[in-house]
Amino acid sequence: MSWWEFWKVKQERLEFVRDFVAKNSLPIPGIRSFEQLHFTVLDTETSGLDPARDSILSFGAVKISAMKIQIPTSVEWYPMTENSGGKTAPIHGLVHIPDQISSEEFLKMLLSYLSNSILVGHHLGFDLEIIEKKLKPFGIEKFPNPVLDTLNLAIRLEHGPHADRSRINLEMYSLDALCMRYGIETDDRHTAAGDAFLTAQLFLKLLSKCKNKGISNFKDLMKNY
Amino acid sequence: MSNVIVNRVAEFLKRFPPFSFLGKEELICVAQSVEIQYLEKGEILFRQGEAARPHFFILKEGIIHLVENSQNGEEIREVCDEGDVFGVLALLGKRPYLLTSKVIENSLIYAIPVNVFEKILEENSRVALFFAAGFAAGQVVVRQDLSQGQKARSEFKNASGDHSLLIFSDQSEVNISEKVLRCSPATSIQSAAKQMADGQVSSIVVCDEKGFPLGILTDKDLRSRVIALGISPENPVSTAMTCPVITRKKQDGFSDLYLTMIRHRLHHLVLTEDGTEQSPVCGIISDHDIFLSMGNSPAVLIHGLMNTLEIREMRIIRDRAEQMLQYYLENEVSMEFVASVMTEINDVIIRQALQISKKQLKPEYPEMVNTRFCFLSMGSEGREEQLLRTDMDNAILYEDLPNELRGKATEYFQKLGEGVVEVLLACGFDPCPGKIMASNPEWVKPLSDWKNYFSDWILHPSPEALMKVSIFFDYRAVSGRKALAEELTQHIYGEIGKKQVFLNFLAQNALKNPPPLGFFKDFVVEKSGENRDQFDIKSRAMLPLTDLARLLVLSHQVVGINNTFRRFEKLCELEPANAELFSQAGKAYEILMRMRALEGLQNRNSGRYINPKSLGKLQRQLLKNAFTPISELQEIVNIRFQLDYFRR
Repeated sequence: MSWWEFWKVKQERLEFVRDFVAKNSLPIPGIRSFEQLHFTVLDTETSGLDPARDSILSFGAVKISAMKIQIPTSVEWYPMTENSGGKTAPIHGLVHIPDQISSEEFLKMLLSYLSNSILVGHHLGFDLEIIEKKLKPFGIEKFPNPVLDTLNLAIRLEHGPHADRSRINLEMYSLDALCMRYGIETDDRHTAAGDAFLTAQLFLKLLSKCKNKGISNFKDLMKNY
Repeated sequence: MSNVIVNRVAEFLKRFPPFSFLGKEELICVAQSVEIQYLEKGEILFRQGEAARPHFFILKEGIIHLVENSQNGEEIREVCDEGDVFGVLALLGKRPYLLTSKVIENSLIYAIPVNVFEKILEENSRVALFFAAGFAAGQVVVRQDLSQGQKARSEFKNASGDHSLLIFSDQSEVNISEKVLRCSPATSIQSAAKQMADGQVSSIVVCDEKGFPLGILTDKDLRSRVIALGISPENPVSTAMTCPVITRKKQDGFSDLYLTMIRHRLHHLVLTEDGTEQSPVCGIISDHDIFLSMGNSPAVLIHGLMNTLEIREMRIIRDRAEQMLQYYLENEVSMEFVASVMTEINDVIIRQALQISKKQLKPEYPEMVNTRFCFLSMGSEGREEQLLRTDMDNAILYEDLPNELRGKATEYFQKLGEGVVEVLLACGFDPCPGKIMASNPEWVKPLSDWKNYFSDWILHPSPEALMKVSIFFDYRAVSGRKALAEELTQHIYGEIGKKQVFLNFLAQNALKNPPPLGFFKDFVVEKSGENRDQFDIKSRAMLPLTDLARLLVLSHQVVGINNTFRRFEKLCELEPANAELFSQAGKAYEILMRMRALEGLQNRNSGRYINPKSLGKLQRQLLKNAFTPISELQEIVNIRFQLDYFRR
């Protein structure tokens, strides 16, 4: 193999990153209505809570477009990890992991799946941080997509935009507590895909609540106080 | 492949019939295709009379009432709660909904695609039996749909009153009333009104002594020109009538007559012996007669559109227009009529969209309200031949402004364009992949910038410029000051006049697409990609014809005809020697348009790619015949613009 070919392989390898970045270079118009927006609701299960050390055991997600949860788009992936089978795995019931995919294959599928959608999740910062760690070698430090946390959205809708966080009992805003409050049937098995599905249903209801409060387009939805 | 999410959906469905009869694989297959939506109290899922969706529904949580709107007001027919299946009419009959579904308590609704379930209905006899038995006996489990189903049947029986678009297949049934109520101009308004009341009609034609029409007095005139102004009913009718009257002759054919009424928004169209107002009155058509017999008539749809600024409503009407389109296409209604009607509908949507965003921006930009501008449609919508909601191409052109206003104007029109595009997207139009849209700052410019664009393309006809030309040259002013667009057109002709060789470049570009039939007289299909082995009807057959028509019309310096088949018609006049070929080409284009639109409606896509193997023998032959004018035209252009010489 000559050096030339070596370089070429690398070029091809990075094409999926370039595609992803290009897709995200166009901003979404602020006045775009909810019906026209594309969301990806996601969740991960990890080997621990330290983004620096731990890694992703499973990834689950489903898309919302036209204000409908699109079940045909649901995915559940199990990327291979250095320390899979670590301490927390049994807690989540991931003893036997089906159809593992290589780390690079996972990122490839992930970026093309996420495309330029708005990323949604409960306590999403942690999930993204741990994925971003994997993406760093490919030149992506931070997701360019708009990001929306259902935890923050719920607080904003229930306590107003200027709520004082220190006075809020955050236990009331765990995914389980919110599902209970919004009448969403939970399941005792915690899996990435299962939680993503719960979050998607919660998000659908929150969006509906947004509309009642006069929040109806992209700009208002993403407003940061 | 199933995952946790799909399994959860399946677990829910499994609890309720008819899903409980499904095998594991079938169940997963259904679950995998579900869409979930959430509606709040007071919202409506589907309305009575709306076209059946490609989904039927099962309620996950909440309460939905199925209500019927009748003369006695709203009547609740069924109450659905968890696990109830409804909206099955989409599955069984593909007929418009007979009931309206109203959300009484916040509801989570699972929508199941009909096409997935249809297969199961065929293969799983228990499920089929379940539906069939329910149908026959009015059983309880899916009682709501069965009541609908039975009703549907009885409706089918007297289906003649269905959608009397049938009027087009049998034009002799058009009711042109020949007894026209008339009076002289000196008649008093009051006695004219009495004649109308006695005859139970809504109009009277005012004629001179020879029977030539001078004007028409309608209910509306009585309202707005007599009573509202407090004018004495003793005055002669000539002071209150609408004049001059627009007239046509009876022999014009129904679609022409009807189109006149749509275009001029007439409620009554007066017919005379020779079609001018200088001949005696011989009949009248009123839109009332047409309305009564039609569910989805163009006039009804346009009227509906003009009376709403609700985007959701607009979308529903545009969806209904598609139903009408399918009917027209299948019944071989003339393409000119079909294209004109669909263009008018699309144009009205654009105008309403402009109104919506203008209203939104007014408080923020009061100084911009009176700036002259023009909204341009380009590409197929510009050519008045966009039938399906394929990609939109549009732009904004505004007057040149003094320096101090320029920044503000850039901002304002940019937002205006963005607003319109968002409404169009919400109405179901696809975005332009090349970003040629009024939301793109590059295509929202003052007149002088537009002139520079065109000058540049004409002076430097790079391949990229020529591609732009093929989209931008077919611009049409849909709303706003048409004079601005006309000024731009004058400029373009001036520039082409100065640089005739530009036409040779354009000609070369028009020949870029090879003829659609291969060496063995078979279709040239795509060699790779996701449309492999399919025939690209747009770029192989339609695009060459549009390009050729545009080129030839430009070379004759003809302005104002955008439509491809009308361009060919015009060319017939201009070049009698080639009239035969041009008229063939025009007809071919109509056939291609019809085929593409039908294909698109059937597959719910743009209809651009056709699988030649899926066509019937007759269709294949028809399509092949439609290609013959293309290569002949290309040959003519090759010689006329000396392209063999030019290429060297």
